[in-house]
Amino acid sequence: MGTSREQLKPSSWWRIVLIGRRPDFTLLRILILTIFSLIIFNFVLLPIRIQRVSMEPNYKDRGINFVNRLAYLFHEPRRGDVVAIRFSGPHAMLLKRIVGLPGETIGFHAGQLLINGRVMPEPYVKLPCDWEMDALKIAADEYYVVGDNRSMAWADHKQGRASRDQILGKILL
Amino acid sequence: MMRWFSRAVLAGVLAALGIWCWHTWFPSPEKAIRKRLKELAQLASFASNEAPVARLFNCEKLTTLFTSDVKIELDATGWQQTLSGHDQLFQAAMVVRQRFGGFSVDFIDIDITLGPERQSAITDLTAKGKMAGEKDLLVEELRFSLKKVKGMWLINRVETVKTLR
Repeated sequence: MGTSREQLKPSSWWRIVLIGRRPDFTLLRILILTIFSLIIFNFVLLPIRIQRVSMEPNYKDRGINFVNRLAYLFHEPRRGDVVAIRFSGPHAMLLKRIVGLPGETIGFHAGQLLINGRVMPEPYVKLPCDWEMDALKIAADEYYVVGDNRSMAWADHKQGRASRDQILGKILL
Repeated sequence: MMRWFSRAVLAGVLAALGIWCWHTWFPSPEKAIRKRLKELAQLASFASNEAPVARLFNCEKLTTLFTSDVKIELDATGWQQTLSGHDQLFQAAMVVRQRFGGFSVDFIDIDITLGPERQSAITDLTAKGKMAGEKDLLVEELRFSLKKVKGMWLINRVETVKTLR
């Protein structure tokens, strides 16, 4: 009798908070959640920490974001997309915005972006810019990428053509 | 039955030990190159309190990882440097160690392509460096050419890869 009474006694609140009413189910849930998180954050949404100021003011230095690796599963990258570009592998990346598409001619005059000789409005550029760059043809499998912080000196700002296979995915937030 | 089982287990353990010894004493070229690059990263890194004797020793040891005709061409954002041979490399390593108060470097995403005769290799990697006291990382894509000289993998060319062209 005494034993069955103990079994009926409700568990203490801290035990319910920590391991739930059914510890075996809690363990299973933790296991499933762990596997799910490992798959998601290693292959689908890569967590990144932004370093440096080349994408300011839209993406702040030290900010956290995610790279959506499935973004270009059904369509190719588009102008204005903020993308992650890999170095020799996926563990270090550049965060840049696509401004030039394959086959286009790109240039800068008085800080304004020229695509095929015409001025392209860029609402995301909020800092003053005085860049000059002669017209450059983008190859068939390449994209021209540049940061949003155009107030940086031309020489200090990494920008240029990236091949399609270098683009790992689109920034989520 | 039990005797056969224990013999099979023993044979399995011996085979695993043999494979492990083989891989340790006769590493594959990829493994040997990775080990060499790890050594390079360790020797290129230094603490602010590195003693002068240790500095000299580490710079000298650093040069032994390269062939005598090594050529290094680095072209990072706002910084260019070309070095040839052990002497220039040694001098540059000493200057860097004297000028900066600590540096750590790590090589990630190493991709090794062996030559057809397996006596040379091209290695693409990303170097992640951090100066002591600086909050930002220095990240550059590098290409190393390595040659097997007297059984040892030595670096004979280092150049910066332009991630964006």
